[in-house]
Amino acid sequence: MVSLPGASPFEVAAIWTVLVIAFFGLAYAMFLRRQVMACDKGTEKMQDVWDGIRLGANAYLKRQLRTIVPLIFVFTVILFLSVYVVPPTAESKLRFVGYSDESLKLIIGFGRAVAFIMGAVFSLLVGQFGMRMAVQANVRVASASRRSFAEALKIAYRAGTVTGMLTDGLGLLGGTLIFIIFGVASPDTLLGFGFGGTLLALFMRVGGGIYTKAADVGADLVGKVEAGLPEDDERNAAVIADLVGDNVGDCAGMAADIFESYEVTIVSTLILGVVLFTQTHELSWIIFPLLVRGIGVLSSIVGTYLVKGNKNDKSNNALKAINKGFYSSAAISITAFGILSYFYLNDWRSFLSVVVGILLAIVLDEITKHFTDGHYHPVKDIAKNSKTGSATLILKGLSYGFEIAVWQTLVIAITIFASVMIYYGQPIVYVLYGVAMTGIGMLTLTGNNVAMDAFGPIADNANGIGELSHLDKDARKIMDSLDATGNTTKAITKGVAIGSAVIAAVALFGSFITDVSKVQIQMGFDKSAQLIETGIRISVPMVFIGLLIGGTIPFLFSSLTINAVTRAAAQIVEEVRRQFRIPGIIERTVKPDYQRAVDICTVSAQRELVPLALIAVLSPILIGALLGVEALGGFLAGVILSGQLLAVFMAGAGGAWDNAKKMIEDGLYGGKGSEAHHAAVVGDTVGDPLKDTAGPALNPMIKVINLVSLLAAPVIIAYQKPGQASVGMFITGAICFVIIVGAITFSKRGGFKKEVFET
Amino acid sequence: MSNFIYLTATPEALIASMLPPLEFGAYLSTGTKKRNKGQAIFFEVDLDKIEKLIDIESLNRRCVPKADGRPKSSVYLSVYKVLELIPLSALKSLYLTTDTGHTLELKKTQYNTSREVLGKLHLFQELCPVTPLVASELTPSAFVKRLTDGSIPIVLPKLFFVELILGELASNPLTGSVEQLPYSNIGHLRDCLEILKGEYEKHMKTVQRVYSGSLLYRTIESGFYVGAKDEVLFYPYPSLTELENLNYEFFRSI
Repeated sequence: MVSLPGASPFEVAAIWTVLVIAFFGLAYAMFLRRQVMACDKGTEKMQDVWDGIRLGANAYLKRQLRTIVPLIFVFTVILFLSVYVVPPTAESKLRFVGYSDESLKLIIGFGRAVAFIMGAVFSLLVGQFGMRMAVQANVRVASASRRSFAEALKIAYRAGTVTGMLTDGLGLLGGTLIFIIFGVASPDTLLGFGFGGTLLALFMRVGGGIYTKAADVGADLVGKVEAGLPEDDERNAAVIADLVGDNVGDCAGMAADIFESYEVTIVSTLILGVVLFTQTHELSWIIFPLLVRGIGVLSSIVGTYLVKGNKNDKSNNALKAINKGFYSSAAISITAFGILSYFYLNDWRSFLSVVVGILLAIVLDEITKHFTDGHYHPVKDIAKNSKTGSATLILKGLSYGFEIAVWQTLVIAITIFASVMIYYGQPIVYVLYGVAMTGIGMLTLTGNNVAMDAFGPIADNANGIGELSHLDKDARKIMDSLDATGNTTKAITKGVAIGSAVIAAVALFGSFITDVSKVQIQMGFDKSAQLIETGIRISVPMVFIGLLIGGTIPFLFSSLTINAVTRAAAQIVEEVRRQFRIPGIIERTVKPDYQRAVDICTVSAQRELVPLALIAVLSPILIGALLGVEALGGFLAGVILSGQLLAVFMAGAGGAWDNAKKMIEDGLYGGKGSEAHHAAVVGDTVGDPLKDTAGPALNPMIKVINLVSLLAAPVIIAYQKPGQASVGMFITGAICFVIIVGAITFSKRGGFKKEVFET
Repeated sequence: MSNFIYLTATPEALIASMLPPLEFGAYLSTGTKKRNKGQAIFFEVDLDKIEKLIDIESLNRRCVPKADGRPKSSVYLSVYKVLELIPLSALKSLYLTTDTGHTLELKKTQYNTSREVLGKLHLFQELCPVTPLVASELTPSAFVKRLTDGSIPIVLPKLFFVELILGELASNPLTGSVEQLPYSNIGHLRDCLEILKGEYEKHMKTVQRVYSGSLLYRTIESGFYVGAKDEVLFYPYPSLTELENLNYEFFRSI
């Protein structure tokens, strides 16, 4: 194999097999899609409701595409030109022996740009295709619920699996293709691939988060609280936007988010694997993670296909069937990893790291469940505090939110410590590689995880269609049951998404240190000045400043996203109120204009994308340019620490408030209408933008900042020598600062000019 | 279109309507234009048994379809002292409506006093003609009798009320668990129950003078009672499991 000199026949075959598995995963997704699409769409009324959701979803996706495509173009050009600022690495010269420097720059620049487009397009495909699949599935699930629980479960889960397998297949395909073409030079292009996926995930997450909560909060505040309408009432003008929002946030946003974690872990592992390969000349550092991913795809295929409801089972226990599939996949994966390690590696360390990753996923899942599931003490305790009002309920939720952040961070710290122990006595690169392998292990069952997550909005929307088309009691009971299971699976996957984001970020942080050192060596820095030797010293004032500023970025991001939700929700409230005043809407003789609420949410969500993306992309450049590369390392550490703590806190507190409200709605403390319920509704409304907008948006934000740092660090090193002031860097920093201030102002004001919606 | 006669509890009124019970419930709770929301609790009244009490001619003249052909929603026949005048035999099913307009029908039964357990404390929400929340050590039948037979200075002609859950407080007001109870001032409730337990001469204690106008349907213990002296009609409230199967929409909205 040209790109991998020295690869054994088994290793060459393994690489091609992984590529075949990637295609197999995609083929399986298409096979499931055909199965789902062959199911019936129910009555005319059901299709009428569904049509509103479908059109709303399409409008959002089209508008999102219009906002994103120009940015993809700009970044593609920047990435292509980046090789003309910092020359390709020594590994690239090794891979493309005989090429002139100019040709090499062209190859690497072109590869990096194409990889960026591929990462962005794959991420976009996962989100958009997954969301379209979810929309296609929801009406079919509603229709199937009129016949049987087992059929409805099968359609909902298989539709979710389509997104799961797309995530698996495309993630594996991208990484493997780049590796096959570029071999040891792949880190140069993998960064582009990772950046493309992450940037798109940031767009999907931020846009989806703002959309879904603006619609949800707006619809609830007027429809349920003011007008006393039930959930999913057809007279509520925001009801379709709310249903579309479930898909936009929990399907497109989450799928793109997990996809980029999946992508970024393989990117960081391969980058670290290449470093180890250059030191040990063993290709297994690179081949093993790809094989692990391949096995994960196969085990997910088997596990997801096992998820079926029993026709004779009247208990409607969807979670039991889903868990059966999940644990089957986990068992198959671990066994296969063990066999692979024994026969291929003759070294159990990588295997142990992967197993630690799987264990980490399970432990994080248990911690999330403990703090956010109604069966455990914390949520019961929060619900109990509703009896003394919304203030105590919110305080209790905050208290548990802070606590879950402590436990989850400690578990991640223990995981990194486990990696230190596994590679005890080895240089830091091994430890970082171990952490990256932990991320690979954690995301082994991505197919199952994404399927579980996408199942949530599908079941939720099916229930909404059932409500709006007045389906019979038995069908409604089935959909209620699936909806409740969907809420649980969504919460579980949120925990995995956050955990994996942190592990991926730590792995990227490792890549930052090794990559920066590589460039420093290339540029002839003294050993004593190389980052791998000095480490990131927070006792250095500039580094500490970087750390402090890094810690503020997640707070700034959260502030702006929550502000955007509040503003958009207020617009929805006004719109729904306005439509309620139109004669005939409340009497059901006139149909509300659902499209306007959809437009408001779509415009509000897209408006925030560019300023938030600019903050994420430019803030590391600003710090690096003004304070230097070591301070940039401190900045990254600050972003990772405060981002992780804040993301877990918001997801935990929000999830706990949500489930406390659900417990009360299920009959605790008087049920709906009680004082306890009023307090719980306040808690849930506060928690909604935390858990579904600000918190999840931090995952891709952390990684965008990491990847931009990785891309920008060589430029900073090249143009800012230690102890020397650089006018160019100062001007760059000043420009970044001005743009960031402009972006913050734009976001806080909701644009430089007000959007006008025609009435 | 035939006319229906309803007796609403809060406010106490006799209303004629062309709407059948489920539609009348939705109308009461959410209004014609569905801009309103609020619970409704009402009986269907047997018109044949109250013909002598109302002006049938006026009823037939006023309760007619609207100009556009839609049925007349409500014609108030009487307010104030309505329950007092309506014979118990004229009361048919009792209907409970949620504030989102979903209605549950409760069938009338003759109350079986032999099933009553003595020595337990009760919590009664009076609904008509007066509306305090009262703790009592009396069984439902004894409670009706005491307030309507003239044996004490405070006397009502008839009484319509519902028994609410007390959980462990029914037998242990001082330290019983209040985990599942939704009442806002639990300390005061404990005090009231404790007084009833301690003082042999005291059978009833007002817990709350003013009714909020909203009953938490999930906190109903046994059901609704209406009666005077020794005659008590009982409208048993189903368990939540039964309710889920009986009326899923109502169950989901409470």
